[in-house]
Amino acid sequence: MNETNNEASTGSNRDLSNAADMIVCENVSKWYGDFQALDEVSATIKEQEVVVVLGPSGSGKSTWIRCINRLEQHQEGRIEVDGIELTNDLRNIEKVRSEVGMVFQQFNLFPHLKVIDNVTLAPIWVRKKPRVEAQEQAIALLERVGIPEQADKYPGQLSGGQQQRVAIARALAMEPRIMLFDEPTSALDPEMIKEVLDVMKELALSGMTMMVVTHEVGFAKEVADRIIFMDEGQIVEIGTPETFFTNPVEERSKLFLSQIL
Amino acid sequence: MSDFNVTSAEGTVSIKPPPETPKLPPRLWIKENLFSSPFNVFLTIASTGILLILGRGLLSFIFSHERQWGSTATNLRLLMTQAYPEEQYMRVWVCVGVIFTLTGLSMAVWNAGSRVALRRLGSFLLSTGVVIDILTLLAPFSSSATIIWLCVGTGISLFGGSLVKFSDEDKTMSVLTVTVIALAGAILSLWVVPYGHHSFVFERTPRSLAEAGTVALTTKLPWTIMLLIGIVAYFAGKAIREKVSQNVLRVSVLTIWFLAPPALLYLVLRDPDFDMGHVLNTDIPIFLVFAAVGAGLLFWLTRPTAGELGKVIAAITLLIGFGSFLTPMRMIIRILILLLAIFAISAPTFAGDTQTRRRYSLGWIGVSGVTCWLVTAINTPSTVEVPGSFFIGGVSLTLLIAIFTIVISFPLGILLALGRTSTMPIFRILCTWFIEFVRGIPLITILIFFSIMFPMFLPKEMEIGEVASIVIGYSLFSSAYLAENVRGGLQSVTRGQHEAADAVGMTTPQKTLFIVLPQALRVSIPPLVSHCIGVFKETSLLAIIGLFDILYIARNVIPNQTEFLGSVRENLLFVCLIYWILSYQMSKASQRLERRVGLGER
Repeated sequence: MNETNNEASTGSNRDLSNAADMIVCENVSKWYGDFQALDEVSATIKEQEVVVVLGPSGSGKSTWIRCINRLEQHQEGRIEVDGIELTNDLRNIEKVRSEVGMVFQQFNLFPHLKVIDNVTLAPIWVRKKPRVEAQEQAIALLERVGIPEQADKYPGQLSGGQQQRVAIARALAMEPRIMLFDEPTSALDPEMIKEVLDVMKELALSGMTMMVVTHEVGFAKEVADRIIFMDEGQIVEIGTPETFFTNPVEERSKLFLSQIL
Repeated sequence: MSDFNVTSAEGTVSIKPPPETPKLPPRLWIKENLFSSPFNVFLTIASTGILLILGRGLLSFIFSHERQWGSTATNLRLLMTQAYPEEQYMRVWVCVGVIFTLTGLSMAVWNAGSRVALRRLGSFLLSTGVVIDILTLLAPFSSSATIIWLCVGTGISLFGGSLVKFSDEDKTMSVLTVTVIALAGAILSLWVVPYGHHSFVFERTPRSLAEAGTVALTTKLPWTIMLLIGIVAYFAGKAIREKVSQNVLRVSVLTIWFLAPPALLYLVLRDPDFDMGHVLNTDIPIFLVFAAVGAGLLFWLTRPTAGELGKVIAAITLLIGFGSFLTPMRMIIRILILLLAIFAISAPTFAGDTQTRRRYSLGWIGVSGVTCWLVTAINTPSTVEVPGSFFIGGVSLTLLIAIFTIVISFPLGILLALGRTSTMPIFRILCTWFIEFVRGIPLITILIFFSIMFPMFLPKEMEIGEVASIVIGYSLFSSAYLAENVRGGLQSVTRGQHEAADAVGMTTPQKTLFIVLPQALRVSIPPLVSHCIGVFKETSLLAIIGLFDILYIARNVIPNQTEFLGSVRENLLFVCLIYWILSYQMSKASQRLERRVGLGER
């Protein structure tokens, strides 16, 4: 993180005001039965921006991030990803999903496939890449996340941190323009968290648009361009890491920070 | 891909081996496991007593002077293939030969067979010999027979004992070699041991004949050749494995396994009398047209950019397929159009680079070729004249119906299960109703319905054999149960797997094919195999609707022969043995399969 070049740095010290809008959410609402999970959520995420979503459990942050690639359906409002609006139209959903990579809390690797096949499956069948090319790319990606030697193992033979890194490689293999991380380190042992966060930092430095739901305050401080704080399905506060962590505006944010810091 | 420098994070750590569990000498083992407490002493003695009494009962039944084992031995051919003509019997041996060849090949290709330590083999032989000795002493033998069997038992135990004593700790032998040696021994004994020659002679009236001496040449020679064929195929497979890519070899061997049953049945056993003129000027042109047009169409449809137009064309093909039933035309054309429609609809799922597209088109040419060939063979009259309605019976019929039913009901059951769990309401309701309806009907009702009434429901010009209609009915019945087993597996695939597949942009067919089904089927292997064993055993219900399956022959045919009036029990026991051997093999195969796919389990 001691890069001085503005191009390769992230965090609140760079100017993204001229970047294009990647994700636009306008008054997005969602209910589970009678329970309102999202309440008029509006936010815009720019290209190359790294946004960390914070909030207590049940505040709707996972639901929101899952709405963005339509794993959940929003019921009101509109979501536009890279200029494509998410509606019931299957073609739009497929287009958006191939633009958006997703990393899950529980990794969700395919246990019956080797690591290399986990990574190449979607490029071959969804992107229609020739097999050889897909495999070369997969090896390169596994090297990027630091585990090329595990290519011929099954996910069950890897540690949690390694599995999560394979999951990141699998998402990257689709060459997405946006990466969504849904609590990527919550299911990991403390000593494995760092290896996953390092990969995510490297990804942020490379200019990927990222939206990260996490409880890792250190990561948020270091990498995020903006922090979005949510509670009870609403966005409570949006700000740069500096202002949010040192000088939050809302009472709710202060209470949350006092409990986690 | 495999030549990475593996650097473990731990570096070089000296690993302490776990403490060895000492192996108890037999005397101590017996003391610890069988006589450890007064109650255990009582249990051991009581259960040994019961086992001895039961064993003696069974042996007295088998070796009683009242048993006419000649009835089974003489009628072996009847029990296996019923009335298949003697002079055409070569065809049956060709079929058996093909199966042996394929078995040998597969063993080599899949590198089958684990290794067994010689010591374990030795202790197994030792205990087998002891059991034979005990059983000999129990059995009501004449003194000369007792001495012979005691010698055999003691010989086996001595051989096993010497293996245990003199072989090295870690010397192993492949299980395959052991099996082949055992089989070779059994077949060799046909040439040496005077089992006696049992058969019927047809002079004026059929009369049973049991001659002293070894088994007839017409039995022992083919079996010897079969064993040799199997061994040769195994080594051929090993040689080929070195040269050809693993995947290509495996896929082609599997394809041959799937094509073998219909090909053997319709081309070898029936020997269709092809009308070459008709084949040349009708069947082959139809195939060529469909192969060329279909391959071109599919090559175009599997472009990644085919898009909506491709889907519309696939749908139009399907409509033409259904529409073809409205106008008179050859059945083969309708079948081919429908097949092409299925290929066209699944084309977007398999779209890819030029190589993938070429493979898909070649796949179509292969499938259409096999279909044409089979339809022609099925519709050509047979040259093999047999008495009765169907040309084989006995074990062959049982196996035939079981294999076809299992092979047909598998895809059907999987489709039903997918339909029942589908989000599309029409499919879901139809599949649920079908499953619930079929499961509520006894199998015997379905068999009777399909053997007697189903042919009446067909259009006038269509005819269908009794066995074919029974296979259709039995497959429908079996697929309903199979669907429920698969559904259990489908539900075990977690929501996270669906989401992960969705998140990388897979379409629903791709997700089902590559992610959900492999995991679901792996989980459902145990219930699926017990279902297959059930299907195999329940073919014995065919006896009720009067087909000559092995049970019917054992119960109703042999006891009515003038030579062997009333000899039901021997034959029933023999039928039990056959059913048990085959079911046990299936169960063993499933255990191996489970262990194999257990690799990489979470």
